[in-house]
Amino acid sequence: MTLFYYNLRMEQEPTSDLSDEALVIKTLSDKQYFGEVVDRYEAKLTRYVARLGIRNPDDQLDVLQDIFLKVYKNLNAFDTSMQFSSWIYRISHNEAISSYRKKNVRPEGHLVADSEELLGFLSAKEDGADVDFDKTINAEQVNSALLKIEDKYRQVLILRFFEHKEYEEISDILKIPIGSVGTLLHRGKKQLADVLNTDAIRI
Amino acid sequence: MEQNNQPKPSNLKSTLLQKIEDKKLCPRSRWFFRSRECLVWFLWFVSVVIGALAVAISVFVVTHHQYALYEATHDNFFTFLVEVLPYIWIIVFAVMVGVAVFNIRHTRRGYRYSLLTIIGSSVVLSFAGGSTLQYFGFGHTVDSLLGQQMPMYMSQEKYEHNLWLQPEEGRLVGRQVEATLASTSVIVFEDASGDRWRMEIQELFAYDQQLLESGKMVRVLGETKSADARIFHACGVFPWMMDGVVSRKDMSTERAAFMQRIHDHRLGAESRVQALEAETFAGAGAKNTPNMRVCAEIAAVRRVTASTE
Repeated sequence: MTLFYYNLRMEQEPTSDLSDEALVIKTLSDKQYFGEVVDRYEAKLTRYVARLGIRNPDDQLDVLQDIFLKVYKNLNAFDTSMQFSSWIYRISHNEAISSYRKKNVRPEGHLVADSEELLGFLSAKEDGADVDFDKTINAEQVNSALLKIEDKYRQVLILRFFEHKEYEEISDILKIPIGSVGTLLHRGKKQLADVLNTDAIRI
Repeated sequence: MEQNNQPKPSNLKSTLLQKIEDKKLCPRSRWFFRSRECLVWFLWFVSVVIGALAVAISVFVVTHHQYALYEATHDNFFTFLVEVLPYIWIIVFAVMVGVAVFNIRHTRRGYRYSLLTIIGSSVVLSFAGGSTLQYFGFGHTVDSLLGQQMPMYMSQEKYEHNLWLQPEEGRLVGRQVEATLASTSVIVFEDASGDRWRMEIQELFAYDQQLLESGKMVRVLGETKSADARIFHACGVFPWMMDGVVSRKDMSTERAAFMQRIHDHRLGAESRVQALEAETFAGAGAKNTPNMRVCAEIAAVRRVTASTE
């Protein structure tokens, strides 16, 4: 019945042109619009929580449910001075972290598919980190190295290089000053390069 | 046919919408979040106000401590400094800065500012507020009120009382209650605890005697000649300054007056020794000579002499 109502509503009022923020306002007056929010973010957030270390599909589903329910309950807390995507990513980040903390396990990254891209970013001077590493390092090794660096660096690197977030968005997601984002990225890249080089020598 | 063109809801979406429907979930009220935000800002404001009060009281305590007479109460400036610092208020101030930082960090946009900026702004605000409060005498008022209401709390007034109500250390606080028949040499002095003393005032200078005669509360520096008989030999009299308005100029004036007395007692002692020698060789009696050298030997004079030599 609910789904039928949803389909009917979506047919009558196409929501694809609506901004996230406008969609939030509509959801507050009619919960059926929340389905569109889920549509827009389900894939992105699934990838994100996987990157943060939740690999098991069942766990992913549980975490995603928790995320979206939390988002729904706290819609009125959304601060319109920031992007909705930053806000939903923040909730996802917190839920993912608390999920693997609850289970007391280390995150298992699943980053290989994007690691080639990260290699390109690492070589670029865009973030001011003058890191230098062996160009023959492959994506598998980047993935493995990412799991060895400190959480705080990995989280920033994931947001910047895998989720393609701007500094301000990362600041909003992780609730840290923008200046700290730059510092963490710089140090994270260095630490990653150190691990990659050490691993390359060992090989 | 039309059904096929409709967006196909995912499992997650249908599960979520069903859950929302079944559990009748609703977004929390906007007022809930606004109230929470207001509460955080209110707690921040309270912490800054308490921090400002801590600063005001600290400023009052530090500026009110009798550094002008520290040689009379402490061995040296370092021991004086260690004792007078208002540790409790410094701790309260530090805790309040911590609370303010915590609250700012928990406001909606608090995370956007660096820790240094937040700590700096809280410290600056507390200092600005504290200085303003102290300017209007709040430091003294709060310190006195706390002292009156809380027996455990050592207000500046209690501290000064305790510091100057130590006859064995040569310090008394109180007021002259009556003169004796020999009013230029002995008076009756009642200390702050109500005990009466026979006070010898031969070595006091005219301005000290005037201050005593005024009947106001004063601090007296000297030496206890007999604790049982309550006989005190006075060497210097200083006004009791606990009205909360003591300017830097007052402090400097008092310091100058204190040093002047010390200097006069040293000079007076030297000249009296010379006079005594002359009298002795001339064969005259040396009446009152033991009393006439007491002030040149008190601890304060010795400390000042030692630090200037």
